[in-house]
Amino acid sequence: MIEFLQMVLSGIAVGSSYALMGLGMVLIYKASEVPNFVQGEMALLPVFIAFMMLTSYNIPYYIAFPATLIFAFLLGCFLEFGILRRAKEPNVLGLIIITIGMEMMLLGFVSWKFGADQRAMPFPISSYDSIIIGDIFISTLDMLTLVVALVIMLSMFLFFRFSKMGVAMKATQMNENAAALMGIKTKQIRMVAWGISSAVGSVAGLLMAPILVEPYMMWDPMLKGFSGAVVGGMTSLPGAVFGAYIVGIVEHLFGGYVSLEFKSVVAFVIIVIVLCIKPSGLFARHYVKKV
Amino acid sequence: MKKYLAYILTVMTIVVFGLALNVSAEEGITDTEIHVGQWGPQTGPAAPWGAVARGTDAYFKMINAEGGIHGRKIIHHYFDDAYNPAKTKAGVKQLQEDIGMFAWVSGVGTAPGLAVKDYLMDKKILWVGPSAGSRHWLEPPNKYLFNTYPLYLGDAELLTKYAVEKQGLKKVAVVYQNDDYGKQGLEGCQHELKKQGLELAIGLAVNVADVDMKPHIMKLKKSKAEAVLLFVGPGHVARLQGTGKAMKFEPQWMTSTTSGDHPLMMYITKGLYAGTISSAFGLMDPKVGTIQDFKNPTLPAMVKFYNDGYKKFAAKEERWGSTFAAGMGYVEPLVEALKRCGRDVTREKVVAELEKIQNFKSSMGNVSYKPFDANDPLCRIGQQEVFLLRAEPDGTSTVLTDWYKTEYIPSSH
Repeated sequence: MIEFLQMVLSGIAVGSSYALMGLGMVLIYKASEVPNFVQGEMALLPVFIAFMMLTSYNIPYYIAFPATLIFAFLLGCFLEFGILRRAKEPNVLGLIIITIGMEMMLLGFVSWKFGADQRAMPFPISSYDSIIIGDIFISTLDMLTLVVALVIMLSMFLFFRFSKMGVAMKATQMNENAAALMGIKTKQIRMVAWGISSAVGSVAGLLMAPILVEPYMMWDPMLKGFSGAVVGGMTSLPGAVFGAYIVGIVEHLFGGYVSLEFKSVVAFVIIVIVLCIKPSGLFARHYVKKV
Repeated sequence: MKKYLAYILTVMTIVVFGLALNVSAEEGITDTEIHVGQWGPQTGPAAPWGAVARGTDAYFKMINAEGGIHGRKIIHHYFDDAYNPAKTKAGVKQLQEDIGMFAWVSGVGTAPGLAVKDYLMDKKILWVGPSAGSRHWLEPPNKYLFNTYPLYLGDAELLTKYAVEKQGLKKVAVVYQNDDYGKQGLEGCQHELKKQGLELAIGLAVNVADVDMKPHIMKLKKSKAEAVLLFVGPGHVARLQGTGKAMKFEPQWMTSTTSGDHPLMMYITKGLYAGTISSAFGLMDPKVGTIQDFKNPTLPAMVKFYNDGYKKFAAKEERWGSTFAAGMGYVEPLVEALKRCGRDVTREKVVAELEKIQNFKSSMGNVSYKPFDANDPLCRIGQQEVFLLRAEPDGTSTVLTDWYKTEYIPSSH
């Protein structure tokens, strides 16, 4: 029983990182209707910027981390405004290819600028300490990730529910033409959605960085976050979160009881099963377009 | 008419003589140059091992700066294959068929190497020092393929032996990368445990893309492993040790040569690597009990390479580490054979000179080859000795064992 509980708790802990990545992907999918494959690198570059600020310029955490998130926000805005918006009447496939292209550009830039070596990121708390409850362990970093993920989810709920910008964003996502007719600057809204998504993903990146910083560090979390978002529903923010936790927990149970070798692929098996049973995802409403 | 005939005859003479010269000349070698090819990941998840190719490059530049080999400069062509066998194959074919390499050296990784092994051997092109301790280079042995990297099987064998016999640890586990490299570590450990009358506590696979090590640590804890051999990359060593520390699991960690760069490992694990025992295949003089500081090399060949190669020719951002320095070690036998050939260099002559190499003191230990025997894998093994080091908190290393000649375990075993 202890073993089972430990696996579930570990699954929740890792699911929190996936959830943040998934949230970022859903935000962009709702705004631009494109699965965003640059999500991981939108977090990667800010992580390296934070690393540079902390190690090369000795900037304190309380300045470096907020500055990183501001950079991430601006990066997201730039990618939408400077690249995606320039595409002339693109279809979904075209948009996906653009995001893959941006992913390669950012990854290439990080590899060129910072090199391929692995690095250790300074962080205010130790990534090796843990909290012990009975016979169950959770690392303090995992605990922090869990708390931060919950705070961000709550903030996003409040943002979409009560802020003017959040409501405008929701309106744009539901019907862009109607929103534009109501005076909402929909292009600006889309750009801001990319900015927020980038910042949310970067929070996940910063929380993973204390373990190891390397150019490919965001690839797996991005794929798992994407899996979680598909499982929960690409149009549902709570769905992406629940989907990510499901992926994290199932992955751990599968690794613990069935096979560690195939643990990594279980997320994609879940995607296939969910898409076969409920194509819109577990928590999203199934829209039928009238033609 | 006679004028045209004279033109045609002149052109034909030039073509015929040109072809004749081309036929007699050895591919990839001129009076002033020797063209040598190499692949290595400069991008992608395996990019940290790309330092091998950059190390080889600095070594060749150092040789060229000193006048080359018998008046010939080594022209080093290396390309980024991103550890992708398809890219390795395409790059090797392109360089071989467009420019023509005299020989290939090093080349990181078992899978990329396997992708081009048959191509190179079918064309009878020399390949010296594959940068992977794989049995594939020896089974079957190939006339033109000379190994320098001690096999991973031997690393596992010595680490296991040390854990059981010297440290009295009976429960030994292996965490291995789910590929040829990792599986040879598992096999070597199992082989030694069987000799000791013990059984493996647990063997756990790690996929290259895995970042979450909690399930692995949970299983290791459950197995009550006292010593854990890590046949994974440096990043996974850091993740496993970090997760282990957080989950209060701190066995005797042991790593293969691939994660044996102590200063780097101490840095990326934030000190958790201290006390870890790793195998090593040279780059220092292993006197038992001595403290070795890789940042301040003492082995004469390493001191020279550090001052005349690394400092002069490496990029500013290049870190001095064992991966970079090994770039020299893998190719030293080829350089030695080229020196022994004199001015008259052909592939066959280089093969003959390599086969004469006995107890050649390279920076990676004593290298020996034998005349080619299709039934004897050891005729091309080069180096079978390893020793053990313990990482100290200040990034230095304590030598735990002398050179140890590892047993060759054939794959049919």
